[in-house]
Amino acid sequence: MAWQYSEKTKQLFMDAVHGKPGSHLGEIEDPDGVGEHGSIACGDAMQFAFRVKRHATDPTKDVITEAKYLTFGCTSAIAASEALCAIIDQGEYTPIEALKISNQDIVEFLEGLPSQKIHCSVMGAEALEAAVFNWAQRRGVDLENLGVDLHTDEQDEGRIVCKCFSISEPYLRRKIKELNLRTIPDITAAVKAGGACMSCHHVPGGLQDLLDETWGTDKERPQGEPVMVTSIGGLSTPQPARRESELSPYQFGKKIEHAMDEYVRPMLQKDGGDLEIIDIKEMLIYCKLAGACAGCAGANQTLKMMVEQTLKEMVDERVRVVAV
Amino acid sequence: MKTIYTDNNATTAVAPEVYEAMIPYLTANYFNPSSMYEPARATADALTDARKTIAGHLGVADPKQILLTSCASESNNTAIFGAAKANPNRRHVITTAVEHPAVLEVCKDLARSGFRVTFLPVDTDGNLSVEDFIRALDADTLLVTIMHANNETGVVFPIEQLSRLTKETDPSIVFHTDATQSVGKLPIDLNGNFRHVDLLSFSGHKLHAPKGIGALYMKRGTPCRPLLIGGHQEGGRRAGTENVPYIIALAKAVELATEHIEDEQTRIRALRDKLEQRLEDVIPHVQINGKGAQRLPNTSNISCHFIEGEGMLFELSQNGICASSGSACTSGSLEPSHVLIALNVPFTAVHGSIRFSFSRYNTDEDVDRIVEVFPEIVANLRKLSPYWDNETNSPRPEADGLVWRTQ
Repeated sequence: MAWQYSEKTKQLFMDAVHGKPGSHLGEIEDPDGVGEHGSIACGDAMQFAFRVKRHATDPTKDVITEAKYLTFGCTSAIAASEALCAIIDQGEYTPIEALKISNQDIVEFLEGLPSQKIHCSVMGAEALEAAVFNWAQRRGVDLENLGVDLHTDEQDEGRIVCKCFSISEPYLRRKIKELNLRTIPDITAAVKAGGACMSCHHVPGGLQDLLDETWGTDKERPQGEPVMVTSIGGLSTPQPARRESELSPYQFGKKIEHAMDEYVRPMLQKDGGDLEIIDIKEMLIYCKLAGACAGCAGANQTLKMMVEQTLKEMVDERVRVVAV
Repeated sequence: MKTIYTDNNATTAVAPEVYEAMIPYLTANYFNPSSMYEPARATADALTDARKTIAGHLGVADPKQILLTSCASESNNTAIFGAAKANPNRRHVITTAVEHPAVLEVCKDLARSGFRVTFLPVDTDGNLSVEDFIRALDADTLLVTIMHANNETGVVFPIEQLSRLTKETDPSIVFHTDATQSVGKLPIDLNGNFRHVDLLSFSGHKLHAPKGIGALYMKRGTPCRPLLIGGHQEGGRRAGTENVPYIIALAKAVELATEHIEDEQTRIRALRDKLEQRLEDVIPHVQINGKGAQRLPNTSNISCHFIEGEGMLFELSQNGICASSGSACTSGSLEPSHVLIALNVPFTAVHGSIRFSFSRYNTDEDVDRIVEVFPEIVANLRKLSPYWDNETNSPRPEADGLVWRTQ
């Protein structure tokens, strides 16, 4: 998948990485507002900070004079961070006015973003919101009283719908409406939810349910993806499948161990060696030579001949030894 | 600007000798090798010779045991679905968590249709536990499918040992290995070290043949139903008119690979080791994934903590250097590499992984050029990272806690 970035996106990324004068990489010492969004586990994270020219009497008339960021993320995440700061530079925004800068404005400034990268622009808008909230706290501005709802606690309080990217239900409900997300792929492109294991797509209370509750179900449902039934990692339980034998598997194992301890190990230990039983399956005994015997050229031969013969005589003539 | 191509585990340049060899079969000798008339005889003969060459270089005495396919993915699909269909009385398959999707997804599909699939985990070096493997084998096991060398990390699995243990447990269990990354790089003798292997997949475009040609070794007597039916070709085990020019190309490529295998083990290994050594010397907080395991000589998977791989790739690309990354942003999905996750690479590094993979066309100058530009790319991106402290050139104290495992 080759890059499909606009020239503008590439330019902003290059400017940032090479620290071109006028780019906005960095931190602000003692900022008036600072906010973060994303996390390193999810693959992108942004810290956004700004400084204001303080109004003598009315903090809501503070004007943002400088904006900077630090971003962990891909080319477009870095370019989107740069775009956000550039947009703020262009106007004389109060922090509350700056909230009007949407992810769509960032996309337009970048002259478009590939659909699977839209979440990079959303991250910029979210970090800005968090920074404005922080500014309001510092300056004693009561945002709620001014009719500004910043939803800063919804991520902590709501039920987590997408566990891979830990995205909560209240946040999803708001974003579905704000960004007019109509399908699961829309949600994934905008806020990443549902983009990894996909198990939240069609479960009760999952992404499709949230979409249906927001937009109603009378529209045509998009075709659902198959639900994964396996998980990777961890062994499945092996089925017991032993053939009939007079002894139970436990008794058989005990008898093998006894024979090993009594007859086999003493012989090996004379030469400074030892032996480890890895597994027993029916009449198959998996053994690994340890100590001086391990790495000896005749090791396999030793196991096969000596151990197998002993066990055949002492336990059961059907026993076979496998050298691991 | 000169292109420095170090993404040879993705695909390779077609060797000039390979190109030369295949051209006549795209032009004058275009005939269908199954046709009866005289001019088709030369085409049919060339096909027979090519198959014999491919077989010979893998230690296979009877060339009929080499099926030619369109790619390694087709070979893998044929092997796994084919073995499952041919053994209806058993329902258990063993594979690993780090297979290529062409094996992993096929196994997941079997799981969806009711098979029991064991996905063996790996340790932090990328190694399998042989004990886990033995415990997973049971009376219901029909197929073991384990890759030879990993495409992302280059970690090599002990196929000699695993296939022998499988056959000593139960000779009717089919043993398949995806050797796409190892044919031509590691010694493979299906009559020697790999004699217990029943099915082995590989493709041409990883060893300097064109894309669109693959092969599947199928030991005589292996129960395996064909995937493509409707033609007598490949002994009825893979229908479809033979892709003669590409088969000729594959034969030439396999021949060249054998000639260069020594170079792979010495010169290319030295290039890789030099790259890793130099980068480790100058870049702080870097880790080589799979370094503690036996690895392919040409592959290096390097993670730089606290930065994202896609930005690194972009900057490398601006410098004419082609590589790849296991980062989520380059995968097409939003999830980073399943292989690095299986190795438990910390997420501060899994997103910042870069894979360099060399071929016989790489030179010392290529490595020098990477060493010249890459550390600066990393440093520049770290300047932007909220987890990096530029004053001390180390992670910020609060971020350092996120690296719960470093080398």
